[in-house]
Amino acid sequence: MARQRALISILAGVVIATGCRADRQVTASILDDWGRPVVLAAPARRIVSLAPATTELVFALGLGGRLVGRTTWCAYPAEARAVADVGNGIGPNVEAVAAQRPDLVLLYASEANRAALERFEALGMSVAVIRLDLAADLRRAARLIGRLAGDSAAAEVLIASFDSALSAASQAAVPAHRLTARIYVDIEGNPPLTLGSGSYVTEIIRAAGAENVFADLPQPSAVVSLEAIVAREPDFVLAISSDTLRRRASIAGRPGWRSLRAVREGRIVVVPGDLYGQPSPRMPLAVRDLRERIAALWTGGSGAPRRRGAAAQRG
Amino acid sequence: MGSPVPQWRGVMVPLLLFWLLSVAIGLTVGGAGLAPFDVARALTGEGEPTARAIVLELRLPRIALGLLVGGILAVTGAALQALVRNPLADPYLLGLSGGASLGAVLAIQMGVASPWGMPAAAFAGALGAIAVVYRLARVAGSALDSRILLLAGVVVGAFAGALTSGVLAVSESAAVRSAMLWLLGGLGGVGWTGVLALAAWSAPALFVLALEARNLDLLSLGEEPAQHLGADVARTKRRVYVAASLLTAAAVAAAGIIGFVGLAVPHLLRLLRGHGHRGLLPAAFALGGAFLVLADALARSLFAPLELPVGVVTAVVGVPVFAVLLRRSVIGVKR
Repeated sequence: MARQRALISILAGVVIATGCRADRQVTASILDDWGRPVVLAAPARRIVSLAPATTELVFALGLGGRLVGRTTWCAYPAEARAVADVGNGIGPNVEAVAAQRPDLVLLYASEANRAALERFEALGMSVAVIRLDLAADLRRAARLIGRLAGDSAAAEVLIASFDSALSAASQAAVPAHRLTARIYVDIEGNPPLTLGSGSYVTEIIRAAGAENVFADLPQPSAVVSLEAIVAREPDFVLAISSDTLRRRASIAGRPGWRSLRAVREGRIVVVPGDLYGQPSPRMPLAVRDLRERIAALWTGGSGAPRRRGAAAQRG
Repeated sequence: MGSPVPQWRGVMVPLLLFWLLSVAIGLTVGGAGLAPFDVARALTGEGEPTARAIVLELRLPRIALGLLVGGILAVTGAALQALVRNPLADPYLLGLSGGASLGAVLAIQMGVASPWGMPAAAFAGALGAIAVVYRLARVAGSALDSRILLLAGVVVGAFAGALTSGVLAVSESAAVRSAMLWLLGGLGGVGWTGVLALAAWSAPALFVLALEARNLDLLSLGEEPAQHLGADVARTKRRVYVAASLLTAAAVAAAGIIGFVGLAVPHLLRLLRGHGHRGLLPAAFALGGAFLVLADALARSLFAPLELPVGVVTAVVGVPVFAVLLRRSVIGVKR
């Protein structure tokens, strides 16, 4: 008899558990970027974003008011600074995140975050893993966050305006011949670290009608030989920084870099890191910005146009 | 005893040829894929401007730096192995790499953007580490007890390493990346100015080591026998330690931390030719330089246009060679 009772109570337990489960499965069909189902009892109200790019996207979706945590490195938009700082996004401080009592954690898709993901799950927290490295990821990420926050319409509005702004920026009124430019992207000088085709900046360059001289490298970033850069004869060096003057002086002052014609002739474009640094709904602005800078350098004094024919043949 | 130099005569000519061969290979091989003919034309000041710039402004200073840094690392490795009478000694043993890394990481953290900021900071860090290690080692008296020197080096290195990790842990990922890339080492960073500065800096210290070569031979017999045979052991140890440290600090500032050369090249030569530092030190300078230039040529060309860290190549190529030689010599001894 006692055994029967025990059995019944276990069964009851199972029924209740599955009942709860059924309740929580409201959003179970939502898969994150690692193909994990994300389970939420209700649309997310308290969100911790563990990557600068997702933080910006959450704000762009009009959901900034729901953010209760962001990384130390989330600098855009300015309102993000008012959100609680929970530390690093890669190898996050699980305790600091949990202390914000989020109902949704947006975790950056890095292998280094696997352990943190397990700990979040063990604490019963809902986590969506988001891979937002490229402009090509923006639409998917926007839709994912929109659905999790119960505001898919906001995501569709954002995507539509992004697409139309991007195509407008790519066709802005600059004569096309002034945009043919082969660009070397400078990230680090010693050893030279550049960006390959799997990078956001290369997407911007392409959308602006120019060409990254190392677009043949599939990697997001790679260390290359300085002599290989010289051999590819870039028209411009593009550096990403918030400190324009210092960056330009520093590139020209690097030993050996004056063997690059673009450096000798002062064709170094320093672009703001907050606009080019992370995949963002502001990509149309970056594309427009780059087109204007290239056009200015081609027409400006030091960056006079030269041997366009030769460059075209090479290309 | 006999003079240790004659046994080296037979090896000097092949070494010199190897040295020249490494320069030739270093000049013709690289990420830009120039034909040997174009390289030759560029060397005579003719040919296309791009090829000229690549050969004269990029490859030549890089080769010169490789010859110098490789030579310095091998010589200081040989001298330190004799000084502490420990075959595991290498130029970075005495806390130097830790100090240099800490200096470089702090420079990045403070936003030193100039191309010379990092070498200067690494140099300052290495000198700081040397000063602390030397001070600690002097606690036991002016004779620089080898065991205390080793311990002080390890402890200072660990301390600097912990601080470095701490700074990196709270740094932005871009700063961490800068630091890591620089610390992996490479010959592309300083150009002719760096080569000349390193040559000027290292000449006196190399001269001091050459002067102490005979005393290092005596020292390898043990400190007491060396003392009885007329060596001023305390003075030799101080001089060798200071000269080797100053050399390594400059090499690290110029090229980052490049492993294996300073450990393996002296041993390789010892396996081939025995001890005798008057021959070993110049031979190590030549072989270390040639080895590093060849490793750099491989680093530039194996996955061109990508570039490997040169330290990866020195270890991947050097370790098997070293293992084979070690095995042979051990078998030879057993017979």
